[in-house]
Amino acid sequence: MYSSELIKGTLKTIILSLLSNEEKMYGYEITQKVKDRTGGKIQLTEGALYPTLHALEAQGILSTEVVNVGNRLRKYYSITPTGKSVANEKVTEFSEFMATMRILLDVKPRLGEA
Amino acid sequence: MIALSEKQVQFIHDDLLRNGIEMEDLRLSLVDHICCVIEEEMTEDDQFEEFYTCIISRFYHRHLEEIQEETKLVLTFKHYYAMKNVMIRSGAFTAICFTTGILFKLMHWPGAAALQLASIAVFSFLFLPILFLFKSREVDLRSQKLIIGVATVFCFLFGISTLFKLMHWPYANILWLSCLGILLFVFLPIFFFTGIRNVETKVNTIISSILILVAGGMLFAITALRNSKWSDETQSLSNKRVLATLAFAEELTTSDSTLKETLLTNKCNEVCAQIDALKKALIQSLPREHRGLSEAKICRIYASDVNQSDKVLFTNAQQPSQELIAIKKGLNEISLLAKEAKVDAERLFNTADGHRFNDKTNPTEQWETLNFMYTSFSLVLQNLNMLKLQIKLVELSVERNGKMSRF
Repeated sequence: MYSSELIKGTLKTIILSLLSNEEKMYGYEITQKVKDRTGGKIQLTEGALYPTLHALEAQGILSTEVVNVGNRLRKYYSITPTGKSVANEKVTEFSEFMATMRILLDVKPRLGEA
Repeated sequence: MIALSEKQVQFIHDDLLRNGIEMEDLRLSLVDHICCVIEEEMTEDDQFEEFYTCIISRFYHRHLEEIQEETKLVLTFKHYYAMKNVMIRSGAFTAICFTTGILFKLMHWPGAAALQLASIAVFSFLFLPILFLFKSREVDLRSQKLIIGVATVFCFLFGISTLFKLMHWPYANILWLSCLGILLFVFLPIFFFTGIRNVETKVNTIISSILILVAGGMLFAITALRNSKWSDETQSLSNKRVLATLAFAEELTTSDSTLKETLLTNKCNEVCAQIDALKKALIQSLPREHRGLSEAKICRIYASDVNQSDKVLFTNAQQPSQELIAIKKGLNEISLLAKEAKVDAERLFNTADGHRFNDKTNPTEQWETLNFMYTSFSLVLQNLNMLKLQIKLVELSVERNGKMSRF
């Protein structure tokens, strides 16, 4: 599992990238999807996830919809058109950052990963 | 997978509320999240409440309210970068505007006051509050937040009192001294005793405290600077000399039995009485303990150091324009009467409007403004006494011309 500092810096990018490919998702679903896709290497904590989701909603990057699920309410998040361009920017920026870090740290891509 | 009952969902809801999750929106998300975790991970052998207590601890480090605090923080600072930008821009604006304002003031160019006012207003009401928000967010300890708070109050007062000083507004000295008081008696002790306890910051705290003390002392010395006693003495003597000459001229006019009740003498006496009434009213406006003093003593106390803003008597609000305009009118009437006796009193009184030496942009400044505005009490009294002396001289000249024509 990666350190929380590393994850905190990339949390917005992760959430936006996930929601760009899905119609709508709820909090627990996001954590599970990230966990599954990364084989448990990245586990989003609730303490970091919900403040970020609220901030993105306040900025108009995400829109929400509350649905009644059995005996409780569930809040679904989906990406807005503005959010989509922000998500693209974030993903591009992070890809460039990774490329720069590779050069900086002199990390050679291993066979099968390139 | 187990489905939670309505009672169990309500239990989670109530527990979150009890633990300080007051934001309804956040509570709703957390209830659903916790329910999902429980439904996914709890087996039929597990007890609901025990299981809940076990998994809820995953959500925080110290207490559950952390999530809400973090949410509030990110919502408050959603414009973090915009605020940072505003702070940098307002700081740069203040620095440039204030420096330019000082240059304009030194060169007596128009617009100096507007530049200084704008820069200090932006500094105090925009730059400082944002800086406080950022700085207080960087520290965790309450004592450090207190130091930042007191420092912000000091900087705010420092800016405002500098503005008051530059503009010669009243109460500038009180503001300035309270600002220094906060620095030396509130900020410095808190800063010193907080920093000295920590081994890492001990040396730096001592050095910084000494620097603050020296800087505060120097500022106090500059603030408390007054005219030298010789300068005060000279001004007082100068007014005494005018008063003595006036008494001499008055003696001449009263002892000269040839002076008759003419239109001119009546007018002269009338204007002199107006001047005396104005002087009396002005002296009555002084603090009680100064009202009974002699004019020479008053002039010494209210010496013409215009940097002492509380001693600048006439500002826009305080100038007794009506009285001065009436005196000007009287002087002009005396000039007309004196003209008949071939005495050029107009040259002596010089009641024409003009301009200040350093303000060529306003060539039509009124006589009363030119001679009595933004000046010290001592100079105002001296100018009024000088007017009386001039009136007496005109009176004597007219009488002399009259005598000569008789021979």
